Amino acid sequence: MKTLKNILSQLHSFALWALASVLLWGWIFGLATDTTPDKKIMIFCHVPELRDVELTMALEEDLPEGIKMVQVHPFDYVMFDTVSITRADILIVPAIDVPELGDEIVPLEGEEGAQVYDPDTGEGVLLDYITYGEEDYYLFLGANSAHLEDGAAAEMAKQLLGM
Amino acid sequence: MSQNVVEMYTEEDIALLERRVKRRLAALVVLGAAAFAVCVALALLANARNAGRLELTAVIISTVAGWVCIYGGIFGVSAGKKEIGHANMLRAEPRERIGGPVTVTDERLRIRGSITVRRVEVASETGVQKVLVHENRAERLAELPVTAVYVAHGYVAAAEVER
Repeated sequence: MKTLKNILSQLHSFALWALASVLLWGWIFGLATDTTPDKKIMIFCHVPELRDVELTMALEEDLPEGIKMVQVHPFDYVMFDTVSITRADILIVPAIDVPELGDEIVPLEGEEGAQVYDPDTGEGVLLDYITYGEEDYYLFLGANSAHLEDGAAAEMAKQLLGM
Repeated sequence: MSQNVVEMYTEEDIALLERRVKRRLAALVVLGAAAFAVCVALALLANARNAGRLELTAVIISTVAGWVCIYGGIFGVSAGKKEIGHANMLRAEPRERIGGPVTVTDERLRIRGSITVRRVEVASETGVQKVLVHENRAERLAELPVTAVYVAHGYVAAAEVER
C-alpha cells in the first residue's frame, strides 16, 4: 500500500521520464541509422502500401559506389516536414501528383518520367514491395538530389526499374 | 522497577542507514549505467531491418530502468539521507523530557521536502502534548512500555521505558 502511494505520488515524474525516453532514443536511433545526403539515397513513394524495410534491405545488397545507405519512405513519413521530399533522390508518384511536384522532379531519361505501373494491365516494377493504386505511377529523380551529378540516383533508379 | 532510555537512533543505527543509502545509490548507478550501455549497444546494432524493434526495446529498457532509478532515488536514497540528517539532529540537539504514557497515532504528516512523521500524543501531568516521531521509528516506539519521551525540536529522540 505504501509502495503504491509512493508510486502514485511520483506519477508525473514517471510519465515525464517515459516521454523523455521515447524522444531521446528516437533521436539517437535516428542519428545511428542516418548519414549525410551525399552518402545516402532517399526514395519517396506516394503509394497506398509500401514494404519499405524489405525494399531498403533489397536495395542495400547492391549499393552504388560511395553510397552507404538507402532510405525508403512513404510520403506520410514527412507529413510535417515536406522539405524532406524536395531533397529526395528518387520519387515514385501517381500521375496526378506530377503537375503538383513541378520543378521538384526531373525525368530519368527523355521528357517523361519512367512508368513503373500500369493499372490497365496490372504490370509494373517492385510489385513485391509496393501495392499501387488504380492509377499510372511514374518514377522521377529529385531535382535537388545530391546524386544527379555523380550518377548514383540514376543508377539506383535503373536498379529499381529492373526489380 | 528500573528505567531505561532507548534512543530512537543509536550511532550503530545511523551507520547502518549510511551503509544502506550507499548500497542503494551504488545499485542505482550500476542499473542506470547498465541500462544506458545496453541501449547504446542496441543503437549501434541498428539497421534498416531491425531499427524499429531495437528502438522499441531501448525505449522499454530505458523507461523501466529510469522508473526504478526515480523510485529508488526518491524513496531509497533521498529519503534515507533525510532520515540520517534527522537522526543526527536528534542526537545533537538539546532535549526536553515529557513524562507520561504515549500513544502513537495513525496520523501521518509528510513534511514538505523532508521526512514523513507520525503524530505521538503524550499524556503528561499538564495535559496531552503532541509531538512527532519519524515514520520508520513509529512502530518501534508504539511497542515499547514508554513512561516518558525525550523530545528535540518537537521530535521524539529517545524513550524512557520500564524494564
